[in-house]
Amino acid sequence: MDMDTLELGPFKVKNKLVIRMFSALDDRLGVKEILDDEVFEKIAPAHLGFWSCFGGISFFLFICQIVTGILLMIYYQPTISQAHASVGRIMNEAPFGWLIRGIHAWGSNLMLITIAVHMTKIFVSGIYKAPRELNWVVGVILLLLTLGLSFTGYLLPWTQLAYWATVVGTETPAAIPYIGEYIRFAMRGGDEIGQVTLTRFFAIHVMVLPVITAATVLLHLLQIRRQGISGPL
Amino acid sequence: MAHQTDFTKKKECEVKALPLEEKKRMVKDGEAHWFFPRHVAEQVIICGALLMILITISTIFPAHLGEKADPFNTPDHIKPEWYFLAAYYTLRVAEYTEFLGAWAPKIMGIVMQGVAVTLLLLVPFIDRGGKERRPSKRPIAMAAGAAAAITFIAFTLLGHYV
Repeated sequence: MDMDTLELGPFKVKNKLVIRMFSALDDRLGVKEILDDEVFEKIAPAHLGFWSCFGGISFFLFICQIVTGILLMIYYQPTISQAHASVGRIMNEAPFGWLIRGIHAWGSNLMLITIAVHMTKIFVSGIYKAPRELNWVVGVILLLLTLGLSFTGYLLPWTQLAYWATVVGTETPAAIPYIGEYIRFAMRGGDEIGQVTLTRFFAIHVMVLPVITAATVLLHLLQIRRQGISGPL
Repeated sequence: MAHQTDFTKKKECEVKALPLEEKKRMVKDGEAHWFFPRHVAEQVIICGALLMILITISTIFPAHLGEKADPFNTPDHIKPEWYFLAAYYTLRVAEYTEFLGAWAPKIMGIVMQGVAVTLLLLVPFIDRGGKERRPSKRPIAMAAGAAAAITFIAFTLLGHYV
């Protein structure tokens, strides 16, 4: 690239240094082509309205959960003697800890609501029909992963309500014939809910489920990209 | 309007391959918006508004931290979070299957939950009623969806109050 003006969509760059650096990058990685295709010469459908936002909103809330979750991990201690006290310190002593935990707690509730609205919109507009059947299936899997994140995250502050809700919640799969007892044992890490349960729920909540959910979100988005946005009714 | 590009029936890679002049025409005719800056600006505004809502709620209603867990003290009423109330009430409904035998209530509870999730997963394969998407032309699907939604909400309320 050898020129006086670099044109990137609405931007016209004349700075020699910027142009030389951009050219060097473009010669090696073909940056201009990507930027034009994905940003500056890209178009979005004009028919998308209020109800079409909720998938994207759920995605944004997921990002917020990752960011606030990482911040909470800085002070949280996953032991049955310290968990409750450490969340108390997050609320009362850590700078803006009350806000970070508030966004994380309210965000998880809001995320389930926005997912429900998103699914209702998809159902009412018949968007799950061919060729988007598998988008619906992956979407339901994302809902189940979100519920799994809520269930495991709820125990972490080690409160009385969470403890006993988890007693009931881990008891339910025990009713499955033959394998139920093993599932309960695996979820609790023993017969009782204790330190091993908290360690397991912590690992699943901060590592296992977030990674699986992020990969599934990526799949959900790739499906949309391959098929394009569905048309108006 | 035969001259128009049927934007919504094209895959993203096909839309990407449209000539720039065609894209400019579509933006001019109101069929599409530029991704940048218009679409990005909209997304930033929506996400910013959402973040402000979250901060406002968190400030007015601070997240609650209940008393510390006590494994030796069972509370009188154990209720799950609101999003699990419907699943929780399903277990209560399953208690009515006791006439089938002493084994029934526990197993039927998890069977009912499993069936509900499986039906939800298979929606596109159960509703194979052609390509019609308008709700007014899909009365059965709409009725089934409404019935499922009402059941879920009713179970949630019953789980909370009963």
